[in-house]
Amino acid sequence: MSSAYNHPILELDGVGFEYFKDKKFINNLTFSVGNGEFIGLLGANGSGKSTILKLASGILRPSEGIIKLWDKQLQSYHNKDRAKLLCYLPQLLDIYVPFKVRELVMMGIYPYDILPKISVDEALELVGLKEKSETYVANLSGGERRRAFIAMTLLQGAGLLLLDEPLANLDIKYQIEILRLLRELKEKKNISIIMALHDINIALQFEKVMLIQGGRILGIGNPETVLTGELLEKAFDLKIEIKKQGSGEAYIRYGNTI
Amino acid sequence: MPEKIRIKTRVPFILIVFIISAILLGSLFLGPTIINPFTMNHVEKEILYSIRLPRIIISVLMGMALGASGAVLQGILRNPLADPYILGISSGSSLMAALGLLSGFSLFGKFTIPLTAFIGASLVSIIVGAFGWKRGRLWPERLLLAGVGLSFLFHSVLILLMSISSADSLRKTLFWIFGDLSIADWSLIPYGSLFIVSGLCIAFFRAKALNALMLGDELAHSLGFSAQRERMLLFISIALMTSASVSLGGTIGFIGLLMPHIARFFVGSDNSILIPASALSGGAFLCLADLIGKSILSPMEIPSGIVTALIGSPYFLYLLRKKDVLSV
Repeated sequence: MSSAYNHPILELDGVGFEYFKDKKFINNLTFSVGNGEFIGLLGANGSGKSTILKLASGILRPSEGIIKLWDKQLQSYHNKDRAKLLCYLPQLLDIYVPFKVRELVMMGIYPYDILPKISVDEALELVGLKEKSETYVANLSGGERRRAFIAMTLLQGAGLLLLDEPLANLDIKYQIEILRLLRELKEKKNISIIMALHDINIALQFEKVMLIQGGRILGIGNPETVLTGELLEKAFDLKIEIKKQGSGEAYIRYGNTI
Repeated sequence: MPEKIRIKTRVPFILIVFIISAILLGSLFLGPTIINPFTMNHVEKEILYSIRLPRIIISVLMGMALGASGAVLQGILRNPLADPYILGISSGSSLMAALGLLSGFSLFGKFTIPLTAFIGASLVSIIVGAFGWKRGRLWPERLLLAGVGLSFLFHSVLILLMSISSADSLRKTLFWIFGDLSIADWSLIPYGSLFIVSGLCIAFFRAKALNALMLGDELAHSLGFSAQRERMLLFISIALMTSASVSLGGTIGFIGLLMPHIARFFVGSDNSILIPASALSGGAFLCLADLIGKSILSPMEIPSGIVTALIGSPYFLYLLRKKDVLSV
């Protein structure tokens, strides 16, 4: 690990959460996110990925444990101050957005009273939507729509992005496009990103993954150590093998396939 | 490119100012009798000052309140069919006002009907708010359903009352229900404007929060807004504006539902522009509708609520055909 990763931006310590009384959904969750880290949050449906992101963004309050953002308790932040440091994007699948791309991106400056460091045009340029700035968000393709929201987060200028399944329902081409964009932002702007995903092949591309099952962390670290057949079987309740190609690139095989 | 933008925004602005001033001046000097501003005698001056001016101010205030609260409500409910009256506020205040009108209750003189209507509207706002509140937050769907349920209840009681009342008071009540501006005078304006202007200010200054709420509570949170607090504030602003508007001149349909859509066709969905645009167009339109309603069959008056719907609905349908449909 390089020194840039040393300072934790976000720390969760012994966090627990329940949707229904006496039915723990998230249990004793402890992890931290360093500066400039890009973490894939992998788990089956209902494993708690979205809940973890909602806890980390302050939308849900933990029933126990502490969440700290830049060494200060998350809940003690003023809404606007938190928004300048941390940005959360939900799955965005069912939201009907009546705004034009430019109007949506402009909303990123809402936490500020002054103009942001980056202009709308620059943000649109970065995500490759400059030509579509006057298009209605509702008329964009799934991939473009996500890029528009990512442009909004650029204006918001938060150093930590929490993304809930930004690749869901996208063709593989757009999935790669979004991943490439996020990686580029991480490099250029030193943004830390945690994104939920459920495709193991995509998770293999990450430098750090966190494997979740039943609201607990099964493993955290680089894919080689975390994404083992044994842990994956536990997480997905399915026999999964990790194979290596001649070139050394890893890919997965499902045991009892169709 | 900047040149183009400037022209694009300036021309409609000048046009809007021109149209609004034309409507206001027209309402002042035209009407059942046409008054020449340069050769006024003292009777005409009196008509202008005591009858027409307060009526114009009231119609503009009501129209602004309805247009703006319609835009806000459609935003917080994320429902293009929302109308400030859908929350039951109008049926509650109609019921209270009808009780006053039908029973001949007049303890507070000419303030009686506006006051009973306002009390009805405020009570219903509180009841609807209470129904919409669950587990520490205000649920848009619950608000909507509670409003619809209460509307049916109040409406049936109102019809029951009207069916057993005398012909004269029935006519008065009917008139009030469809928007009667003929009772307008200066005395109500300070109270009405106090509530309406406060409501407008809340709506205008929370327009960004409303934009964020339209993206969903989670994104609103991410953008630094407390979704609960903002929704509550916006609901209060709607309740203030709608209650005051109903008590000033009855329930006038169409404006709250369709004016925000018409405004949206021209200025888009950004609430920091849409709310003032809906307010201005609502105010100007009701003023115009009132002018037409009182002039066209003079000395008979057509309730403004009928005129707004008669002119507005075909125009709205025309726009719907012509432009891309962009709901809330």
